[in-house]
Amino acid sequence: MSSTQPQIKIKFFTKDPLETLQVPDTALFVPTLLKRYGLSEIVNQLIQDQQNKIEKLEYKIIPFDFLIDSQILTTSIDEYLVDNGLSTEVILNLEYKKSVLPPIYLNSL
Amino acid sequence: SKNIEDENTEPVIPIEDSREIWRQCEMNTQELSGRLCEQLRLILEPTLTSKLKGDYRTGKRLNMKRIIPYIASDFRKDKIWLRRNKPSKRQYQIMICIDDSKSMVESKADKLAFESICLVSKALNQLESGELSIIKFGEKIRVLQDFKDTFSIEKGARILQWFGFDQTKTDVKILIEESKKIFNENRRRLQNQELWQLQIIISDGVCEDHESIQRMVRRCKEEKIMVVFVIIDSRSSDSSSGKESILEMSQVRYVMNNGTTSLKINKYLDSFPFEFYVVVRNISELPEMLSIILRQYFSELANV
Ligand SMILES: [Mg+2]
Repeated sequence: MSSTQPQIKIKFFTKDPLETLQVPDTALFVPTLLKRYGLSEIVNQLIQDQQNKIEKLEYKIIPFDFLIDSQILTTSIDEYLVDNGLSTEVILNLEYKKSVLPPIYLNSL
Repeated sequence: SKNIEDENTEPVIPIEDSREIWRQCEMNTQELSGRLCEQLRLILEPTLTSKLKGDYRTGKRLNMKRIIPYIASDFRKDKIWLRRNKPSKRQYQIMICIDDSKSMVESKADKLAFESICLVSKALNQLESGELSIIKFGEKIRVLQDFKDTFSIEKGARILQWFGFDQTKTDVKILIEESKKIFNENRRRLQNQELWQLQIIISDGVCEDHESIQRMVRRCKEEKIMVVFVIIDSRSSDSSSGKESILEMSQVRYVMNNGTTSLKINKYLDSFPFEFYVVVRNISELPEMLSIILRQYFSELANV
């Protein structure tokens, strides 16, 4: 992925009360071509970074789903922006929650 | 050019409104622009002092290199004095570039941007040592004040008219590319060896493709165009946690290593492409911050 790709400011949040699923509520600058998989990778990295601060644990990747305004994100961020007439100048609040779909199916999304 | 806003575009703010905004900005920054002017004088003026030069029959100080030839020539080669010459007038061209993109509203930087235009242009105008240009940028750029034109309060109000903060891109590469052309044209116009060109960019600091921008800024430096970036970070002062601050923002990058890509999350400002930048939280910090960064710039220039 080259650095010339458009990027956008996003913020992750979750309604899941589980302490170990929380990430910092600071903004992140990410490429807009990311989809569920790429976003999931980032959230996992953020969770892992938080946990490493406490103790080095064996980390198991958690698949996440993403929602914008309670609507599940099924496309790339870029496509979402186009479909909703938005530009990369806005800040996107992305809700994440543990995916309920089986992991094998998820990899194709 | 596709990078320049259409000539026929109409201004966004009615002139009566922008006059009122300008008046407000002036009131908020009056004392500050005086202070900035003073600071700039201190930074810029030492470069105007004259140097001692040879060779004269009378003068202020002896040129020691000429003493031995003077004696050896039976005191015929008597141009042994140094004189203080009239300083060659150094000229400045200072370009202020203001981010007109939508994110400026989101990050609450629009008000501070207006005050910055007012503050900096008034201080430079008081300084009377150079030409001033004002440009807005986003997806495209537009020249709002040309180096050739004189600045006035009415001009200031007319400049504010053009800011809608609704451009849907923040293309810093286009800004650098186009402003370099403008600098080059105006260098040719003045034909002064002692011309210094300074670009002050005022923005919320959110832009992509840091690597390319960094290369472009380096090229500007080689052509003696100094680029200073003022990041307006007003969100940090109104949220108690400072979570909205650009200082807290992270950036996701994908690094290729031995054929595999790995995800890296770093602080956004770690890869910020401008060597000379300051983060300003409110307008009262601007004079001090700007003079610190300019002093740093000039001292580095002197050491080259
Ligand atoms: Mg922007």
